[in-house]
Amino acid sequence: MSSIGTGYDLSASQFSPDGRVFQIEYAAKAAEISGTAIGLRGKDGCILAVEKVITSKLHEADSGRRIFTIENSIGLVICGLITDGRAVVSYALKEAQNYRRQYGRTIPLKILNERLSSLFHAYTLYSAVRPYGVCVILTTWTEENGSEMYCIEPSGVSFGYFGCATGKAKQAAKTEIEKLKLDNLSARELLNEGAKVIYRVNEDSTDSDTKFKLELSWVGKETNGIHQMCPVNLYEEAKATATAAMEQGDSDVE
Amino acid sequence: MANHGVNIGPFWKDGPSAGSFYNFPGNSTNQSANDYGKQASTGPITTGTSIVAVKYDRGVIIAGDMLVSYGSLARYHNVDRVFQINENIILGITGDYADFQFIKQVIDETILADFSMDDKIAMKPKDLYTWLTRVLYNRRSRFNPLWLDMVVGGMQYDEPFLGHINFRGRAYTSDVISTGFGTHLALPILRERSEKGTMSEADAQEVVKKSMEVLFYRDCRGYPRYSQANINDQGCTVTKHDVQQNWDVAYLIKGY
Amino acid sequence: MIGVNQFPEYKVPGAVQHQFNPYENNGGSIVAIAGDDFAVIGADTRLSAGYNIFSRDHSKLFTMTSKAVLASCGNWGDSDTLSSFLKYKVQQYADAHENREISLNALAQLMSTMMYGRRFFPYYVSNILAGTYEGKGYVYSYDPIGHCERHTYRAGGSSAALLQPILDNQIGLKNMEQKPNVPLTVDRAVDLVTDAFISAAERDIYTGDGVNISIITNNGVENRRVQLRKD
Repeated sequence: MSSIGTGYDLSASQFSPDGRVFQIEYAAKAAEISGTAIGLRGKDGCILAVEKVITSKLHEADSGRRIFTIENSIGLVICGLITDGRAVVSYALKEAQNYRRQYGRTIPLKILNERLSSLFHAYTLYSAVRPYGVCVILTTWTEENGSEMYCIEPSGVSFGYFGCATGKAKQAAKTEIEKLKLDNLSARELLNEGAKVIYRVNEDSTDSDTKFKLELSWVGKETNGIHQMCPVNLYEEAKATATAAMEQGDSDVE
Repeated sequence: MANHGVNIGPFWKDGPSAGSFYNFPGNSTNQSANDYGKQASTGPITTGTSIVAVKYDRGVIIAGDMLVSYGSLARYHNVDRVFQINENIILGITGDYADFQFIKQVIDETILADFSMDDKIAMKPKDLYTWLTRVLYNRRSRFNPLWLDMVVGGMQYDEPFLGHINFRGRAYTSDVISTGFGTHLALPILRERSEKGTMSEADAQEVVKKSMEVLFYRDCRGYPRYSQANINDQGCTVTKHDVQQNWDVAYLIKGY
Repeated sequence: MIGVNQFPEYKVPGAVQHQFNPYENNGGSIVAIAGDDFAVIGADTRLSAGYNIFSRDHSKLFTMTSKAVLASCGNWGDSDTLSSFLKYKVQQYADAHENREISLNALAQLMSTMMYGRRFFPYYVSNILAGTYEGKGYVYSYDPIGHCERHTYRAGGSSAALLQPILDNQIGLKNMEQKPNVPLTVDRAVDLVTDAFISAAERDIYTGDGVNISIITNNGVENRRVQLRKD
């Protein structure tokens, strides 16, 4: 980070003289040091892929999940403080349930994004609270609207994306994603691409021997609009494709 | 109280007791009903009639016709009263359809929350059965019953499950269950078959078909079209059927 | 909010007049006998309402601990609720007392308190609790609002008035000038319970189909099943 707070960073409700709110920047930092998470939006569905860092070999590999399902069809990945993320998830579940009670249908992703963004923003306004130290990526696929994807940052700012990345290797991942022809790729194909990106950026990151588990989920036409962790056979295939690509890449360098 | 808690009754029929005022009959000036408490529902309004359900060797069938009545008026046709709740559970309902729609929404929310856990563990029929028992019992205990007769079926792991809960929270499990008029008309047919031994899927289909036929002929709130949910280790289907009507006996009836 | 005691005794407009009857009588009969070092408890397995039989195989016995079995009949919804609540309390007791099982007499008192807690909206049930405590057989009976009394034998439920005289004669040896002095054995107690139910099923339409019998001795609980007439 370019500078430290020097007294102007104690509260989320205080600006620094040069017009910054340091608490938000610290929160963004918390999100940035977490394992990389990406979302890819293809022609018939979206995928989420996460480099879930396993900090101790004593941890169970499938605990501490980063990808969540909101109702049937919305995928949500958290990046940053896991506990903050889980609070966001339970809020998102409540919002979705509330919407369903009123309107008898799944909350549109646009609306869920707005409501979660407002929540994030509200936590940047008061001295009694701190901003959420997480970025979230939201994604879904519906018959009416096709693929949709949003990313919300700790400041509450959010954009719609074709492909997005957060976390430790977000820049590298973005570069990788930009190379993809997302419009032409199906969700099934994206699973492989997503896995490749995660493996590649993990390799490139400074501590490349970090143990991690790939988390992979998808939602699209093929899953009947249901968001789910990708099936074992596809998961293994994606992983194999990614490792093969890595070896390929290694031999190219040599 | 002037009479030291001893209730000596009114001075005359409908009259005041000692030390209290006389309320003139029919004179309810400035008294809103809310001053006295609240009136909760005391009976079903729009209703669905019987449900027929049987357990067979590796699954469960629940059937119910597709009519919702308003008293004796056949108000809504082609309405489902039998549902698949999730991959393990089917449900049939008799009684107030509004109460059902209310509880169905709550069930669906629960199922969705269950799905959101994303842990590949789905609710089982016994879970729903127990939960519904508590809901219906608590509502009747608050004198605000959900006027429903609910039949929960499904696969409890590899075993078929079939249970029945009424609006007073009376719950039991059984191999054959029928609600409403079906307790009188269908249950004897189902029991006769059931007591001969375990049914195959085809046996169950047949006995349900026969029951729905009898119910249509004899239940004034019956309807020839019915939906039938069938769940077993292979999965779950909900299908629509029509009673094959035979009015040959009517040749004797002339002059109308 | 105005309480019930503020209402005049005659009808006034707007007063709560619930048509809804929260109770239903689901029939069933229960019997228990205490011996010197054992207890036998039985309940029929019919679940009915009016002329309808819902189930012919419906247990009204609840094994609470390795030394206590509850039989409960009347309004099945209440029996169901009360028994599962009691089971919950039994578990709570175990959790709070290093997994020690609650004793029969403590359980008897606990149930009385729970039932009296619903004094003004009672569990509409007839309960008998049987088991052993410090090696001796006990039977406790309850009224719907929690009055608890210890007996050596007791009948309850829809056939109480048919069953109790049999027990009075065979175990209580009432109004006999020469009383045989033989201690009650488990086998005789079980036979008596069985015969009593066979007789009750003959005359009471709310009792029949089968009897579940639990025999509580210092070796634990043994369950048996006897068929009854099914009409």
